[in-house]
Amino acid sequence: MFQETAVNVTSRSSAIVAVENLVKRFGQFTALNDINLTVAAGEKIVLCGPSGSGKSTLIRCINHIEKHDGGRIVVTGVELTDRMTDINSVRREVGMVFQSFNLFPHLSIVENCMLAPMKVRGLSREEAHERAMGVLRQVRIHDQAGKYPGQLSGGQQQRVAIARALCMQPKIMLFDEPTSALDPEMVKEVLDTMIGLARGGMTMICVTHEMGFAREVADRVVFMDRGTIVEEADPETFFRAARTERAKGFLQQIIH
Amino acid sequence: MNSLDFSIVAQAWPYLWSGLLFSLALTAAAFVIGMILGTLFALVQHFEVPVAGRLVRAYIALIRSIPLILVLFWFFFLVPIVLGHLSGNGRPVPIGATWTAFITFGLFEAAYYSEIIRVGLRAVNRGQFEACQALALSTFHTYRCVILPQVLRVASPIILSQTIILFQDTSLVYVLSLTDLLGAASKLAQLNGRLVEMYLVVALVYLGVSSAASQCVASLRKRYAMAGAHR
Ligand SMILES: Nc1ncnc2c1ncn2[C@@H]1O[C@H](COP(=O)(O)OP(=O)(O)OP(=O)(O)O)[C@@H](O)[C@H]1O
Ligand SMILES: [Mg+2]
Repeated sequence: MFQETAVNVTSRSSAIVAVENLVKRFGQFTALNDINLTVAAGEKIVLCGPSGSGKSTLIRCINHIEKHDGGRIVVTGVELTDRMTDINSVRREVGMVFQSFNLFPHLSIVENCMLAPMKVRGLSREEAHERAMGVLRQVRIHDQAGKYPGQLSGGQQQRVAIARALCMQPKIMLFDEPTSALDPEMVKEVLDTMIGLARGGMTMICVTHEMGFAREVADRVVFMDRGTIVEEADPETFFRAARTERAKGFLQQIIH
Repeated sequence: MNSLDFSIVAQAWPYLWSGLLFSLALTAAAFVIGMILGTLFALVQHFEVPVAGRLVRAYIALIRSIPLILVLFWFFFLVPIVLGHLSGNGRPVPIGATWTAFITFGLFEAAYYSEIIRVGLRAVNRGQFEACQALALSTFHTYRCVILPQVLRVASPIILSQTIILFQDTSLVYVLSLTDLLGAASKLAQLNGRLVEMYLVVALVYLGVSSAASQCVASLRKRYAMAGAHR
C-alpha cells in the first residue's frame, strides 16, 4: 500500500533512482522481497530498520555491488543489467561511503582521491590533484593530504572516504552506516560533512540510525524489516507517529 | 694444518668478485622473471581461469615437490631435445648453460613467488574490492593500482626471504659448470690448496649479503607493522 504511493509521489521523469519489484536472494534466503523505491533528484532518503532487514543489500544493489535477482533498477536513466558498460556508467554517477571506510592504505589521502578521477574520468594528474585538494578543503581535511589513511582518526578517514567519492562528481551518494564504526566524539564531524553535502543539493540515500541527522536533512525516512519496506514518511511524522507496530518497536529500541 | 694465510684472498679477489657478480646477476634475473611469471600465475589461479588455472596449479605442485638441482638437469638436457623436435629436424638445439640457469631459476622461483602472492591476494579485505567497484574502476586498474600494490607490500618480507634462499641456491649452477661465487672459490681452492681460507671467505660473503638482506626484511616488517598499527 505504502509502496504504491511512494512510486506515485514522485513522477517517473524526475526520478534519479527507480527501484521496481526488486528481489535479491542469497541462496535460498530472500534478503529483499519486492522492493519499490523512487528517489527524485536532490532528495535525501534515510533508510533504517533492524539488523538484517536488508538495508545494506538494498543500497548495494543500486550500484550493483550486489547483483539483483528480480525486478528493475534504473539509475540516472540507465537500467542495471549484466552489461559492464551499464554497470560502470551507473557506478560513475553513484558515490558510496562504507561503514569501514575502505580507504586504500597504500595511497596518501590525496592519492586516494585522485585515483578514480584519473583512471575512470580520464583527468590528468594535475587536474585530479586540483580537484582532490578542492574537495578535501570542502571536507576540511586538506591539511592532511600528504598523510596515509593509517595516520588519521576514524572520523578523518570517513571524511576522506566521502571526499574520495565526491571527486568523481557523482549525482547520487550512498551511505552505509557511515558513523557506526566511529568513536562517539567523531560522529559529529562526519554528520556535519554529510549535512553540508545535503545542503548543497546532493541526492543522498543514507542507511543510518542517527535520528538527529534524519530529522535535520531527510525528506523521507524509509523503514525496512525482513527484506521489505514496511513504512515511509517524512521524519517528523515517522518519529512522532509511526503507523506500524514494527516501526514503533524499532524506534523504542534505538531510543534506549 | 698450516697457519691461515689470508693474503691469498687478496690475489683471488678479482675471480671471486666475478663469481659473486654472476650469483647476483642470476639472483636478480630469476627474481624479475619469477615475480612477473609468479604474479601472472597467482592471478590466473585467483580468477579461476578455466584450463590455465589447473595447468598452473599442476605446474606449481610439480616444481615445489622436486629439488631445484633436478629441474636444472631437466632443463639442461630436455629443453634442447624438445626445441629440436619443435624445430623439426629432431636434432637437439643446445641453449647453453647460462641461458639454462637464468630460465630455470626464473621458472623455479615463479612457482614459489606465485604461492606467496596467491595467499596475499586472498588476504586483501573484501572492502578494498568493493571500494574499487563503487568507484567504477576497471578490473585491470583495480588489480594494478589497488590490490597488487597492497599484496606486494604485505608480502614483501616473505618475498625477500625467499629471494635470500634463491641467492644461496644459485650455488647449484656448478652442476652446469658455471662459475658462481662458491664455484669460483672451490676452483681456486683446488688450485692453490688454500681450502680453509677460501671457504671461510666465501662463507663470510654469503653471510654478509644474506644478513644485509635480512636487515631489509626486518625493517620492512617493522615499517609494515607501524603502518598497520592505527587500524
Ligand atoms: N553475502 C551474503 N551472503 C549471504 N547472506 C547475506 C549476504 N549479505 C547479506 N546477507 C543476509 O541478508 C540479510 C540482509 O543483510 P543486510 O546486510 O542487507 O542487512 P542490514 O539491514 O544492512 O543489517 P545491519 O543493520 O546489520 O547492517 C541478512 O540476513 C544477511 O545475513
Ligand atoms: Mg548493513
